[in-house]
Amino acid sequence: MKKLSKVLLHGLQHICLVGGVFALVMALSSSFVYIENREGHVKSYDIITEEPGTDFENSKMFNQLLGNNISDIICYGAIRGQMETNGVFDADKAIDVTAFANRYTGIPSEYITADYYLEDLIKWAQNGFETEEVFMTGKEADTFLSNKKIITKINFENGNYNGGTVSYINSDIEKQKQVVTVSGNVILEDGDSLRDDVNATIMKNRYRTINGKMIEDHVTSWEEYYGLCQMVKKTAEDLNTNYQEYLEYNEYYDKSNSNVVYYIRKTIGKDTEVYSNRDVKSDKLELLKEQLLSECDKFIIYDPENMVYETNTLIEEETLRYILNGYEYAYPSDTQILIGISEEYAVADVFSQAKTGYNGRAPYFIPYLCGAIVALIGYLFLLVVLTKLEGKVKVKSTDEIVIRLNPEDKIPTEAMLILAVIVGVILAFLADFLIFSGRAGRIVGNYGWIILCCVAVLLFSLAFSFFYYSFVRRIKAGTLWKNSFIRKLYCRIEKSALYIYDNAAIVLRVWIPYVAFIVLNIVIIGVGKGIGLLIALILDVFVGIVLYKSAQDRQRILKGIQKINDGDMEHHIDTTGLHGDNLVLANSVNHIGEGIRNAVATSMKDERMKADLITNVSHDIKTPLTSIINYVDLIKRENVENSKVREYIEILDVKSQRLKQLTDDLVEASKISSGNIVLQWEKINLVELLNQTIGEFSEKFEEKKLTPVLRSVKNAMLIEADSRRIWRVIENLFNNIFKYALEGTRVYIDLQEIDFKEGKQVVLSILNISANPIKVNTEELTERFIRGDESRTTEGSGLGLSIAKNLTEVQKGKFDIIIDGDLFKVVLTFPQLEK
Amino acid sequence: MINILVCDDDKEIVDAIEIYLNQEGYQVHKAYDGEQAIKMLKEQNIHLLIIDIMMPKLDGIRATIKIREYSSIPIIFLSAKSEDTDKILGLNIGADDYVTKPFNPLELVARVKSNLRRYTQLGNLNVENNALFTVGGLCINDDTKEVTVDGENVKLTPIEYNILLLLVKNQGRVFSIDQIYENIWNEEAIGADNTVAVHIRHIREKIEINPKEPKYLKVVWGVGYKIEKQ
Repeated sequence: MKKLSKVLLHGLQHICLVGGVFALVMALSSSFVYIENREGHVKSYDIITEEPGTDFENSKMFNQLLGNNISDIICYGAIRGQMETNGVFDADKAIDVTAFANRYTGIPSEYITADYYLEDLIKWAQNGFETEEVFMTGKEADTFLSNKKIITKINFENGNYNGGTVSYINSDIEKQKQVVTVSGNVILEDGDSLRDDVNATIMKNRYRTINGKMIEDHVTSWEEYYGLCQMVKKTAEDLNTNYQEYLEYNEYYDKSNSNVVYYIRKTIGKDTEVYSNRDVKSDKLELLKEQLLSECDKFIIYDPENMVYETNTLIEEETLRYILNGYEYAYPSDTQILIGISEEYAVADVFSQAKTGYNGRAPYFIPYLCGAIVALIGYLFLLVVLTKLEGKVKVKSTDEIVIRLNPEDKIPTEAMLILAVIVGVILAFLADFLIFSGRAGRIVGNYGWIILCCVAVLLFSLAFSFFYYSFVRRIKAGTLWKNSFIRKLYCRIEKSALYIYDNAAIVLRVWIPYVAFIVLNIVIIGVGKGIGLLIALILDVFVGIVLYKSAQDRQRILKGIQKINDGDMEHHIDTTGLHGDNLVLANSVNHIGEGIRNAVATSMKDERMKADLITNVSHDIKTPLTSIINYVDLIKRENVENSKVREYIEILDVKSQRLKQLTDDLVEASKISSGNIVLQWEKINLVELLNQTIGEFSEKFEEKKLTPVLRSVKNAMLIEADSRRIWRVIENLFNNIFKYALEGTRVYIDLQEIDFKEGKQVVLSILNISANPIKVNTEELTERFIRGDESRTTEGSGLGLSIAKNLTEVQKGKFDIIIDGDLFKVVLTFPQLEK
Repeated sequence: MINILVCDDDKEIVDAIEIYLNQEGYQVHKAYDGEQAIKMLKEQNIHLLIIDIMMPKLDGIRATIKIREYSSIPIIFLSAKSEDTDKILGLNIGADDYVTKPFNPLELVARVKSNLRRYTQLGNLNVENNALFTVGGLCINDDTKEVTVDGENVKLTPIEYNILLLLVKNQGRVFSIDQIYENIWNEEAIGADNTVAVHIRHIREKIEINPKEPKYLKVVWGVGYKIEKQ
């Protein structure tokens, strides 16, 4: 179900894109109307810029078309003047070639010309002008050229055209000119010719003038000859061109082919001519106007002579004047142009075409555009939604969402990319060929073209989805990089390099890369010069990074060793990313650390078990011991006569007391050495403590005539310790002195403050003279059950010094015994507590 | 006649204790486990109970908890367990005293006496008097300069008396040797003197049952001395 809906969404996405592009194409095509103009070219007229709701007749398009027609008609009118007489084509119309050729620039007051029939000139131009190179002697030239030239003069007296140059108004020029024959006056009296021999270019006279003359008959010099030839040629060619246009215009603006109605009224002198595509009943302007308005809804009436310009179109007077100025030679100042068009468009022409196009398309532009926007937004929305959903599949059994890859997603990334580029290029070529070059449009027509567009877009959409969603799935599944050739290549290289590195002997491992590195540097710099230096630099930086990383790894191992060394048994060196020697080293250190850890743990466990055992045993001993002590005491209270029995009881008493002491010490010693005690740290003043202790021991010491001498540099020497435990240390030491010191001696207790590297230390030394020679060494003294005297007859468990030493050490102190002959000295060192 | 119940699974110990207590004129009843002790407590008019902790059937701790539900007689624990934690536990669940095995019979007898005095004479000393200072069973009458512990007169030298009075007046406060010296002798302490320490030890020997485990005058080693607030 879910899969089906996803497929439907994908389908909808394609439809959105195709529909969007379709609507866009339609909107764009709706914004233009294509009209085939007179020359047969298709021209597009933009109708987006039209104000909505504008009538066709008020549209820019209409005015553009009308303007073009007006331009045509004015041109046509000029040409008709050249070709017609009384509104009909006149093949025998006489053409003054020089005047015609100079119609734009104006005619000089005197000129050499020839008059030909219109028909002859046109045919001449159509057949082409033939010339030949002829060598002529002066004499032959004389014979060839005329000795009289015919000059045409403009008669200014009758006309209005005074002022240097004369316009060519062919209908009027005939009446204004005068033909004069002037003697060439180039032949000397002795009959010799003044002319030089020449290589002349002679134009063949295909046709003769109206008077049956040839070109050379009009001129007396080569210059004049060539000039006239040029005039004939130019006029003939121009007339031929105009004739072609004339035929075209004639048909195009014929009543049966055009809705445009025109009247061009020209008045030269007293003659008035009217050119029109309608039958003209009268040449009176008023009547022409009437005739125009009776037929046309839109009209332009232009009468520059009387400064009249009337119209109900958007065409401006300026436009008309500008067009007219282009054909100044053909239109005298007294010209009236009347142009109109009926809104019925009864004849099929550009206007009827344009109106159909305009009315048919303009209203659909906005809906198409909206449709296109909606569809394209829909496409983008679906793209986002589907990108989010893509690849996610719910596993039914676990309700977990996983990314599922399609078969094409297993193609390596680069291959897929290349494939995508290839498909893209093919589609682009196809699109260019089918759509943009326009070739296809000509073959299949407008609707076919739109369908082609849609097919191309659909193909594009399918291809894009195929590749795009594949990459989306890859990114989601994290296989984009994993499944790429580059990564595989990289991994392979890395693996083999590491394999070689890990398996090579130390010598090879150091020297081969080193030598290879140097050689490579030299070669690259030597071969590559500038760029080589750059490459070598990059290489060196890379090598530097590798070396740095290796050193960093070693640093990490060293730190780990340092930590284990400092007692952090739990420390474990992270071996990820280590290789070669470093890996071996790190693993070894980790193994050693683990060994130490295990050993310590085992020994701690053993100690604890031992302590527990001792505690339990001592409990069991204590109960019978209680009875022994109690009953010994009870016996003592009885009146025992026998002195021997009394002696024995005394021994029992002492020994049972010692047994009691022994069990207590045993428990304590085992607890301390197994670390089974909790300390309560306090600020302790050693001077105070020693005074208190001496006070406590004052009677015991007096008993043995021992004199304690306390020497302290300060009244207060502060250390941090557990008060009961530090008292136990000092008590044990004093008890020791009481037991073993020589009677009647002094006991020196010195307190000093010494600066050590690790800070100020308080040094307490207790010195006494042993009653018996000390036969054991200092180490043995602090071991359990060792006493200075070998006989174990005196009281004490032999644990006193051991307990004192262990307690000192757990309180961060140092415990040293110095024996010098009978001199017994204990030195305790604690870090001094700053006030 | 005062009745004391002694309860221990070791018969010989019970017998020995009986001998000592009889010598002091007390009537002794014997039990050998917790259940028996509870039963006898109900049957007899018992004034004080000495009870072992590790016993069959019902141990001393649980027996004491049960007894404390209805009786407030003095209970002294007698145990081989000598850890601080054991003592604290025992005193917290309702025992009045804690004696470790092996014990000194005389100390046990002294503790029995002390506890009985406090139990039987409790409330007799509630006399309003500004010159009267009490800490538990320790009582100092500054008018008569008399010191009693659980009603027993104690003889102190003037210096000992002054030191004890100073500490009792400032219960809970720790005095260093120098501070005590300056207070009592009214002169500046030159230091390195153990006179005060010796006096303190003498006072402890006079007012404490076991000077090594003092109940009133405590030594804070390396700091000074104090009377614990009670």
